[in-house]
Amino acid sequence: MSNIDEAMLMALVDGELDEVNRRRIERAVADDPALAERLARHQRLRERLADHYAPVAEEPVPDRLRAMLEQGAAVVPLARPAPRWRGWMTGGAIAASLVLGLTLGRVSSEEAGPVGMERGVLVAQGDLARALDTQLASAQDGAAVRIGLSFRRKGGGWCRSFDGAVAGVACREGDGWQVQQMLPGGGPGAAYRQASSTDARVMATVDALIDGAPVDAAGEKAAVAQGWR
Amino acid sequence: MSFERDLLAILPRLRRFAFSLSRDRADGDDLCQAALERALKARDQWQPGTRLDSWMYRIMRNLWIDEARARQRAARTFAPEEAGAAVGHAGERDIEAHMALSDVDRAMQALPDEQREAIALVLVEGLSYKEAAAVLGVPMGTLTSRLVRGRGALIEMMGEAA
Repeated sequence: MSNIDEAMLMALVDGELDEVNRRRIERAVADDPALAERLARHQRLRERLADHYAPVAEEPVPDRLRAMLEQGAAVVPLARPAPRWRGWMTGGAIAASLVLGLTLGRVSSEEAGPVGMERGVLVAQGDLARALDTQLASAQDGAAVRIGLSFRRKGGGWCRSFDGAVAGVACREGDGWQVQQMLPGGGPGAAYRQASSTDARVMATVDALIDGAPVDAAGEKAAVAQGWR
Repeated sequence: MSFERDLLAILPRLRRFAFSLSRDRADGDDLCQAALERALKARDQWQPGTRLDSWMYRIMRNLWIDEARARQRAARTFAPEEAGAAVGHAGERDIEAHMALSDVDRAMQALPDEQREAIALVLVEGLSYKEAAAVLGVPMGTLTSRLVRGRGALIEMMGEAA
């Protein structure tokens, strides 16, 4: 009889044995079919348990659990910041951040949404892009997207905050708008609603990005006329 | 900021652990929710650089023990009345619920809590003995003997199918 007990077999299956003991058991198993069967039983048990519970970890997390973490400011920095942000990002200013979570999955699978993915960055599209291009904060009654502030950011370029199906801040990049932050919005046409944590977080992003003060209605109009260049 | 993000990243595994502890999907997600609430409140107690998953497993496991104890107390207190009300439907329902369980669920349910949590951490979550012993707050020897007994019971209950 080999003096190999269940604890040793189990430790082998769990990857807890040192090299010497592992070899010792492997040699014993090779000469002893009954021992080999006991070892196989432990291996099957481990595999069967792992397989049984694996699907739970692969399915989508329920919204109520996800929401608990996203409410608490689950901000994810952009994976690849555009080169010209780097100065202030490494300076600790952060805030070019966006809530991903489920939203990104929806974004990439839903072409008609307000935000799409282009070469790894989030860009405004559809109604949101049009609103950012042309809509004036002073004239937007009933619009699906509401523009908040328009401002120049540190390092140059224009940014605008918005609210609608999604809320956040987008900055002009070339001919488009790169979305810096994306949060659940107040809904289409959310003209009047109570100040929310979303507003506070959008404002924090504006504060981190802004160079000076937001432009007034005349400045906004002029910027639209010049195509935000 | 990254605390919530890190929790979100391990949440699928936390749900798996909750499910293997609680033996029921709804109970498992309730346990997850309670654990997240506690973690967010006690975030200052987590030391960055240590394993967040181990910290969460410990919170969940402690919550589950509290919950199991509370249920036992409630069962003792209300047993006579419930037994009376259960005549008829409840018995059938219990049998159906039992039938819907897989062999693995049934076998895990039958284990004592202390063996089930050891099995869940090592065989399902893939923790090392050292990590699992730390989560459970027991010496390694205690952990390994629980693993041996738990496995023996599972193999016996699951029969040749194991």
